[in-house]
Amino acid sequence: MRKFVYAAIVGLIGAGIVHVAILLLLPTMSPRDAWSRLAAQADLYQTTPYVTDSDVAGPAGIADPYFQAVACRFDLGEGVAHVQGSGVVPFWSASVYDRSGQNIYSLNDRSAKDEQLDIVILTPAQMVDMRKAPLEELENAVFVETPIDEGIVVVRGFAPDQTWVRKVADFLGAIDCVPETS
Amino acid sequence: MLNTVLAILLASSLAVAGGAWSLVSVLNNRQGTGALVVGAWTAFPKIGSPDADPYSKARTSREGILALGSAEGIAFSATTDTAGDALRAECSYRIEGNVPTSRFWTLVANGDQPAPERPARLPALNSQSVLRRADSSFAVTVAAHPAAGNWLQNSGTGPMALVLTIYDTNLTTGSEFSEILMPGIEPLGCDA
Repeated sequence: MRKFVYAAIVGLIGAGIVHVAILLLLPTMSPRDAWSRLAAQADLYQTTPYVTDSDVAGPAGIADPYFQAVACRFDLGEGVAHVQGSGVVPFWSASVYDRSGQNIYSLNDRSAKDEQLDIVILTPAQMVDMRKAPLEELENAVFVETPIDEGIVVVRGFAPDQTWVRKVADFLGAIDCVPETS
Repeated sequence: MLNTVLAILLASSLAVAGGAWSLVSVLNNRQGTGALVVGAWTAFPKIGSPDADPYSKARTSREGILALGSAEGIAFSATTDTAGDALRAECSYRIEGNVPTSRFWTLVANGDQPAPERPARLPALNSQSVLRRADSSFAVTVAAHPAAGNWLQNSGTGPMALVLTIYDTNLTTGSEFSEILMPGIEPLGCDA
């Protein structure tokens, strides 16, 4: 009998260890994370519609019906990632996520030059190269320096009423997401 | 000998099952760590950011969420009214007050209907189409029947959630969370 009481105590301590182990492994191993979902939809450097989840999600996860979004996965091993769009919409915002879906940088139209979407994502090493030999076509871009290799860019557009829906869709559909090498 | 094997089996199955079950139940319970509660509204300012706690990080990965960044906005959700009673889709509510300084906000009502019965477009309002009073406060009536003033039409029955998302706000870029004022949610009545 004592043996079983002892086993139950060991089991409870083990449960705590398993709990923490899964908790810490989930962000790197989840098969349902955003990266895996987007990988099923489109290749690297292809923009694809992203259904905007509310970040707090009510009972079933609510997407903001006034928003449309596109996502593009990038791999900085292929060169710096350049995301560019043109056009006028009431509001757009862009976020850079790492491979596990952590938001590492975000900006909106007010924080961009001339309210135009033009972002370059690059590693610190690529930033050093870029300083030495700047690419002319990137001179107006916002540079996002991050220590990650793979990641996701999501651009969201706001359509306050029906008349904007088409324009926002066109703006998001025309977004370019390409690797650039110097 | 058999007792020893059984004891080891008990210990290991308890560890695996107990660990997995406790983690899943914590992750499914949304009122978790890192929540910012203002009246009936709850937001997770740090979710999806590298500063988030391990539970928020696990939740983000498990549910495939790409959370709004600090330059984008912050979403507050409510599943109860200000008095603490659960929101129901067959009832009417009055949402009244002010929203923190921001460029615009959207308000979405979501019933708990299963996917096929859920409307393709959730009932929603945004600040650009909302009428305000002279002091910039507003009142929105959430009801199934038409209402005067700002009307958010809900439908169905059962539990309901309201999500108020505030875009391009200084809330997420350093102001004190304790100073936040959010609109109140008062019940008006229910359809029998």
